Amino acid sequence: MAADQAPRYFGARVARRQDDRLLRGDGRYVADISPAGVLAAKFVRSDEAHAVVAGIDIEAASVAEGVKEVFVGEDFADNEIRCVSSYAGFQESAQPILALDRVRHVGEALAMVVADNEYVAEDAAELVVADLEPLPAAVDIDTALDVGCAPLHPGWRDNAFVRRRATTYGFNEASSSAPHRVSIELHNGRHSGVPIETRACVAEHDPGTGRFRLHTTTQIPHLIRAGLSWALGVPESLIQVIAPDVGGGFGIKAQLYPEEVACCLAARRLSRPVKWVEDRREHFVAAHHSREHRHSVTGYFDDDGTILALEADIAVDMGAYSVFPWTATMDGGMAMGILPGPYRIHEYSVSSTSVCTNKTPYGAYRGVARPAACFSIERLMDQIARHLGVDRVEIRNRNLLADGDYPWRSPSGLIYDSGSLVESLDAVLALGDLEGLLKRQADARTAGRLVGVGLAVFTEQTAHTTQEFKQRGVPIVFGYETAKVRLDASGTAVVSASIHDHGQGLETTLAQVAADRLGLDLEQIRVEYGDTEQVAYGAGTFASRSAVLAGGAVTKAADAVADTLRQVAAHMLEAAPEDMVVETGRVSVAGSPSQFLETTELCRLIYQRPERLPEGVEPHLEASRTYDAHPGTGAYTNAAHLASVEIDPLTGKTRVLSYAVVEDCGPMINPTIVEGQIFGGVAQGVGSALFEEFLYDEAGQPLSTTFADYLVPVMSDIPDFQVAHLQTPSPHTIGGLKGMGEGGAIAPGAVIASAVEDALSHLVGTVTVDRLPLTPERVLGYIDAANGNGTGP
Amino acid sequence: MAELSVSVNGELTAAQVDPRTLLSDYLRDHLGLTGTHVGCEHGYCGACTVLVDGASVRSCLTLAVQADGRSVDTVESLASNGELHPIQQAFKECHGLQCGFCTPGLLMSVLELAATNPGCGRDEIREHLSGNVCRCTGYHHIVDAVEAALNSVREQGDGS
Amino acid sequence: MKPPRFAYCAPQTLPELLEILSEAGDEAVVLAGGQSLLPMLNLRLAAPSHVIDLDRVPGLDRIDGANGCVEVGAMVTHRRMETDPVVAASAPLARCAAGFVGYRAIRNRGTVGGSVAHADPAAEWPIVLLALDGAVDLASVRGWRSVAAEDFFESVYTTAKRPDEVVTSLSFGSRFAHSWGFSEFQRRVGDFATVAVAVACVMESGEVAEARVAIAGVADRPVRCPEAEAALVAGSRSAASDAAAAARDSIEPISDIHGSSSFRKRLIYAETQRAALQALRANGAGADDG
Ligand SMILES: Cc1cc2nc3c(=O)[nH]c(=O)nc-3n(C[C@H](O)[C@H](O)[C@H](O)COP(=O)(O)OP(=O)(O)OC[C@H]3O[C@@H](n4cnc5c(N)ncnc54)[C@H](O)[C@@H]3O)c2cc1C
Ligand code: FES
Ligand code: FES
Repeated sequence: MAADQAPRYFGARVARRQDDRLLRGDGRYVADISPAGVLAAKFVRSDEAHAVVAGIDIEAASVAEGVKEVFVGEDFADNEIRCVSSYAGFQESAQPILALDRVRHVGEALAMVVADNEYVAEDAAELVVADLEPLPAAVDIDTALDVGCAPLHPGWRDNAFVRRRATTYGFNEASSSAPHRVSIELHNGRHSGVPIETRACVAEHDPGTGRFRLHTTTQIPHLIRAGLSWALGVPESLIQVIAPDVGGGFGIKAQLYPEEVACCLAARRLSRPVKWVEDRREHFVAAHHSREHRHSVTGYFDDDGTILALEADIAVDMGAYSVFPWTATMDGGMAMGILPGPYRIHEYSVSSTSVCTNKTPYGAYRGVARPAACFSIERLMDQIARHLGVDRVEIRNRNLLADGDYPWRSPSGLIYDSGSLVESLDAVLALGDLEGLLKRQADARTAGRLVGVGLAVFTEQTAHTTQEFKQRGVPIVFGYETAKVRLDASGTAVVSASIHDHGQGLETTLAQVAADRLGLDLEQIRVEYGDTEQVAYGAGTFASRSAVLAGGAVTKAADAVADTLRQVAAHMLEAAPEDMVVETGRVSVAGSPSQFLETTELCRLIYQRPERLPEGVEPHLEASRTYDAHPGTGAYTNAAHLASVEIDPLTGKTRVLSYAVVEDCGPMINPTIVEGQIFGGVAQGVGSALFEEFLYDEAGQPLSTTFADYLVPVMSDIPDFQVAHLQTPSPHTIGGLKGMGEGGAIAPGAVIASAVEDALSHLVGTVTVDRLPLTPERVLGYIDAANGNGTGP
Repeated sequence: MAELSVSVNGELTAAQVDPRTLLSDYLRDHLGLTGTHVGCEHGYCGACTVLVDGASVRSCLTLAVQADGRSVDTVESLASNGELHPIQQAFKECHGLQCGFCTPGLLMSVLELAATNPGCGRDEIREHLSGNVCRCTGYHHIVDAVEAALNSVREQGDGS
Repeated sequence: MKPPRFAYCAPQTLPELLEILSEAGDEAVVLAGGQSLLPMLNLRLAAPSHVIDLDRVPGLDRIDGANGCVEVGAMVTHRRMETDPVVAASAPLARCAAGFVGYRAIRNRGTVGGSVAHADPAAEWPIVLLALDGAVDLASVRGWRSVAAEDFFESVYTTAKRPDEVVTSLSFGSRFAHSWGFSEFQRRVGDFATVAVAVACVMESGEVAEARVAIAGVADRPVRCPEAEAALVAGSRSAASDAAAAARDSIEPISDIHGSSSFRKRLIYAETQRAALQALRANGAGADDG
């Protein structure tokens, strides 16, 4: 139902509610929590990529000063993390809590020291001696898939978690009759979100009640509870998971990790709270990696560049284990689905392999597969444009979905609900001043400098729910979110939600939604989240869905509570409930504004004067609702990005000079927060494009294990952004909202690659920029190739 | 064990510490000042930045004993009488934080910048603050906030 | 990532410090700014028996300028080098290089003595010393000595300093001080250089009479490049490019994750050319190319 009055907060740039406490240093992150008697855990980790564990000597460590206990794999042999996909042919992996007979990646935990504090725990950890007998390591996709490579898990046929393929009926016909085709192979470096707060958890176990309480750095408290319940063999009623303030997640904190299970088990064994704070070196080898895709794509098109068919072969290096709750199929599946992108492509043939290797397991990272998919389709569009000698904008305009195309059923079966692709591309050219950029490029060229302009358009599936996730073969279908709204006797409200806010501002945006529905001031609303005791269930915050789904659930719950207000007010004012309107601070009779009750008074009456309530109305102003955005196929946000770069011709170092974004995520609850999400995503995308990569040597040794070697963008690497919005509502969601948390991170790889290629386009040789990140050395290789020296990086 | 007496946020603290104790751990674990965050313990992220005798330092790369006899300021010192410091206020108004984990260290670096280079423009702000990594904001709003904060510092300076 | 256990002391005088050092043995280290030692301790790449804090030893943080030479106490921070007027006047190359060291918070604590004692092959101070014909002054219970920069740096993290010695100061000569250039390739602001080049020249009637080209990030220690120096002295119209090419062709750089040997050759060329042009332009000599 619609609210009774025009929104006061929806759409307003209100300042965030949580900022005061975070700015004062009063945030409460997991590392800040130290219950009485807490012990510190330190994990001893494998320094071999693949080895037989012949023995682990914990004698010296066990008797070291301050040590309470040292655990090895045997101690937790009854527990494991196993996340099984229902896709045909999926091969299961069992991730031990501490390694048993094998280790499968550098960083896998071998032993756990629990001691008085972190200093002595680390001292003792150094005394643990693991006898590891190295085995050949499968460190890359080709090695792992080679027929000669032994399967990494017992009972497996080969090193593919799963292989899938799909082809539209008309593909063969369309591709074989197409007059032109272009093929490219694209590589995305392995990297991840690398939040500034590392992972951490504090596990407590109450021997009296058998209850576990786990404070942990997670985006998905209820799913962690579900996973722990499976891994520990304990019902959910005995597990409370709390995610307090979390210092950035980006997907990396949206998986259950062995360390969380280990801390719970140790807390139970020792009857003491056990706390683990990941150190940064561990983070680089034990927190999940992401993004490493290799795509071979071929576009078939006619003389004017209309795409007739698309073919793609996708391989993703998933590392050693299938992760909970996503399984090892998520990236491959997502890429298969979204690769055709924003274009009117009817015929499609795609195959995808999720490869098991001796690397850190692979989880979610902002955008999940969409950055790689966008990189592929947008690089392909640029190549088609070049092949035909058509402008890059023009080729896109010829193929982009337009107004009449919606709802669009993509060749992979996704239903795009709505969008503004052509308009957003048009708008970004103006916003980013394409004309000016091209003029500057021309001037730069005359002066012997290398300046390039790049662009990309994409569509982002957001707020997809039951319908979508049931097709993904995941063991838990992430359908809905839950919100509970409670008005109290002072007339203030508590909104509890199953999502988590670790920067997205939901503590504020959900308050905005609830305030409008209940006619309250923002200050009268407290939003809480992150504790499994607050609401029954829900998936948490990932996949650009929280504002839509939690926003919808809050709307529904608030409306239910408002109904009670209307009912009681109607009774008091002797009017009909359907004539009551909830306004700011009061509930009044429609058309006669002098007849009203103040909301605060009404709340007090309901709780404290139950004798005055109408028959059948309970003294209760609380409602819990779920929302799953029927039909569940998603609300499609779209955006266009335009950037310019300058390359130092002598060193290959690439600087982003300008970056403009036009995004359409439907109506915005709080545009400032939306912009913050876009900027943050783009900066991470610039990291993907220019800086970030987990490098390994041939033996599977990780080479990027400090911030000196794994480079994240710093302030001087990121330009000022230009941003503008279009607002096409989704027909599927409450308020027409669309998600947008990931979008910023999707396009920068494609945009910057396009810009680098453009910067070299006047040189004699033709180069195809096909590999991220664009390190100076790689760019220099492209420059050499463009100058006719060498063959590229 | 080593004797230690440090003034922290204007109050004298004294303790016996293992000399290997990092200043960051002294602040967080011994004094309960958990506003100072730890993100890397090797000097790169800047989350742990505090001021020692007015100059920014990495508290993860400083032994607590090295602060003996000195004065340390942390994020907890900024707000006074319940009022946010103008730098904090600017961060709030400009949406200069998201998860807030990098924020305390960043605020302390900005405090130093405001004291030593209040005339910085956007590019110089970026250059100066490149030792404070933020993974959430993409920096744009942080630069807005710092620009606004430096303006207000300059105005105060002009006014006095 | 917490430091291993060690014994700590903070001597109050130089003699006391030297006494402690002579008795502490090879496993002891001194602590200056801690900006290299603390990361090593936190990563447990070092496990010293004793950590001897230099902070309370008086007299190690002086900056003295006389006759155009500058003597800089070991405990002078990078930040002071960036801001000190004597350094700016007498060793402007040093002031410029200081700005490239890490971030402000690192520069506030890290010291010049610590940098040369640590001898990271990618660090700025060693090449500044080499370019300015500088020297490292050392003290121990056995007495004082001064080691020319040329002879000080032996290999990665290894110098001519003996375990019982402490660096007391660095001295920068005056001959090369006024025609200089500095350029480095950093991936991001504050990062260690992948390649850094310091150039300094002695000018006589507008010609390069003598030159120093010192390069960091290419070998197990900072190196001078005589071939590039000769090219600068030869003084063709394209002297900077000649020097850059000579450096590139004569050095076989290391490879690591920040760049292969062949990439570093390209960087040597680029940064040598830039530094040389800066040095020559300051005097209007041979500044046509580039
Ligand atoms: C994030 C980060 C970025 C950095 N970037 C750079 C950079 O770009 N360029 C660069 O050059 N450096 C960089 N550094 C290192 C920094 O410059 C250090 O300050 C410097 O290398 C060491 O100086 P220190 O005073 O901190 O020495 P310490 O860390 O205290 O000591 C280093 C070593 O030198 C020994 N030592 C110190 N002083 C003396 C002395 N007087 N006599 C004898 N031995 C001594 C110590 O025993 C120890 O072995 C960076 C450091 C960090 C953490
Ligand atoms: S924690 Fe100190 S710089 Fe990262
Ligand atoms: S706000 Fe999250 S790291 Fe900066």
